[in-house]
Amino acid sequence: MSEGGGTVSEPIAIEAKRITKTYLSIQDEIHAVNPITFQIRHGEFVSLVGSSGCGKSTILSLVAGLIPPTSGTLRIFGEKVLAPSNRLGYMLQQDCLLDWRTVEDNITLGLEFRRQKSERTKSRARALLQELGLGHTLKLLPSQLSGGMRQRVALVRTLAVQPDILLLDEPFSAVDYQNKIYLEELLMNVLSKRKMTVLLVTHDLEEALALSDTILVMGGQPGTIRHTLKVPKELQSAAPLESRSKSSFRPLLNDLWKEMER
Amino acid sequence: MKWLNTRLTRGAKSNLHARYLRKHRLRQLGVHITRLTLFILLITGWEISSRQGWIDPFIFSSPVRIWTLFLQMSTDPAFYQDIGITVLETMAGFILGTAAGTGLATLIWASPFLSRVLEPYLVVLNSMPKVALGPLFIVTVGAGFASILAMGIAITVIITAMVIYNSFQSVNHDYLKLARAFGANRRQLFCRIIFPACIPDLISALKVNVGLAWVGVIVGEFLVSKNGLGHLIIYGFQVFNLTLVLLSLLIVAFLATIMYLLVSRLERYLLRHR
Repeated sequence: MSEGGGTVSEPIAIEAKRITKTYLSIQDEIHAVNPITFQIRHGEFVSLVGSSGCGKSTILSLVAGLIPPTSGTLRIFGEKVLAPSNRLGYMLQQDCLLDWRTVEDNITLGLEFRRQKSERTKSRARALLQELGLGHTLKLLPSQLSGGMRQRVALVRTLAVQPDILLLDEPFSAVDYQNKIYLEELLMNVLSKRKMTVLLVTHDLEEALALSDTILVMGGQPGTIRHTLKVPKELQSAAPLESRSKSSFRPLLNDLWKEMER
Repeated sequence: MKWLNTRLTRGAKSNLHARYLRKHRLRQLGVHITRLTLFILLITGWEISSRQGWIDPFIFSSPVRIWTLFLQMSTDPAFYQDIGITVLETMAGFILGTAAGTGLATLIWASPFLSRVLEPYLVVLNSMPKVALGPLFIVTVGAGFASILAMGIAITVIITAMVIYNSFQSVNHDYLKLARAFGANRRQLFCRIIFPACIPDLISALKVNVGLAWVGVIVGEFLVSKNGLGHLIIYGFQVFNLTLVLLSLLIVAFLATIMYLLVSRLERYLLRHR
């Protein structure tokens, strides 16, 4: 993946070496992930696609440091992952806004947990909210926002801690198509102004193709990486909606489909 | 009639809206009137049956006798002392019991090991009738305020701990995942996510505990029997003054309702954002 979005000279942001994950319970053991090895350079946008149950979300939780791998090593900027790294931002399918806090208090939640809440960081979070077009919602409660707006607030909360790596777990799957495209455009806009590595888990192949530099196709049970697809430069540079209408988009989507079904 | 019609349609935006408002307010009015009528019927029915000798006035007393006794006792400072002490015991038992139960739940949450160790103890303590502990309280902390308070706490603490602990565990797992990805430690997780998320359940526990604390305190006063409304009930029973028993019962019902309403007010305040 080294010649994807990030260039060879960029440091390696995420490095997985033969990591596996086995879930243990009294009744059973479940092998979720077979040995997986990959490298993602800083600044690269990588998507992880595959049918449900192939271990995509497990990989994300492993990288996030929420669960330890059963074997193998995982490094973030060369450091072994033992606990959730300060350089990460994590976003889920559910917006998980705390309904008893105002938007303002929700977007500074991560800062609170990291003990970084100050006037400076708070005003930075407010500026981000403004950038995503939600400046007027500062004092509102999550229940007063629409689904798309809530997900945007969740994005601001993730970005407010200034992560170098964004981990996105199907962040746009719960919103309608129009909002999804809009959120994708917003995300790409934000990314164009800041250097960030993105690892996106999705079951939406169109989304993966429209946003990523590289796509990792996972499959099997326990899951492994079956195929690595480099997205052509012309699709990489195009905006999410524009990308979907390029002539090379459909054939690649068909290829991905075949890889998934294999 | 015109006056009534304007009142019923006050604030109407259109004819259709006026008709809707009239229908809605008439139904509301009907409920209030029926409620009041039922109350008056019950009271007068009770009074008449007692006077006509359809029910034994010695056992069932009558509203007028109860009212007369109330007026007579309301000049006696000891009566207010009885009410005051019972209210104090109930409030203290209810607040301390809920707080101790929540504290216990927090402790169990903080240590999964402790939670598994204590589980059978909690189950046994919860199924045991706490009232049966009365004699034990009396010999250990004395036949007085402390015993009654202990009863009020004993009856609420275990069930509160169990309900609140359950509530701690049922907090949306995605919230926890999110907080942990931000690097939250267990203490932060508890203070910022778990506890605030459980406030609605905490209030339900408060509502249940208002009733339970009254049971604990009245039974405690039955046993210790020095003062308080529970004492008045037992005393009235012993001297066969059923009017006194009924008067005390009505006062307990009145006070318990007020406490419940106060908790409801608190609920509305705490949950105003949700």
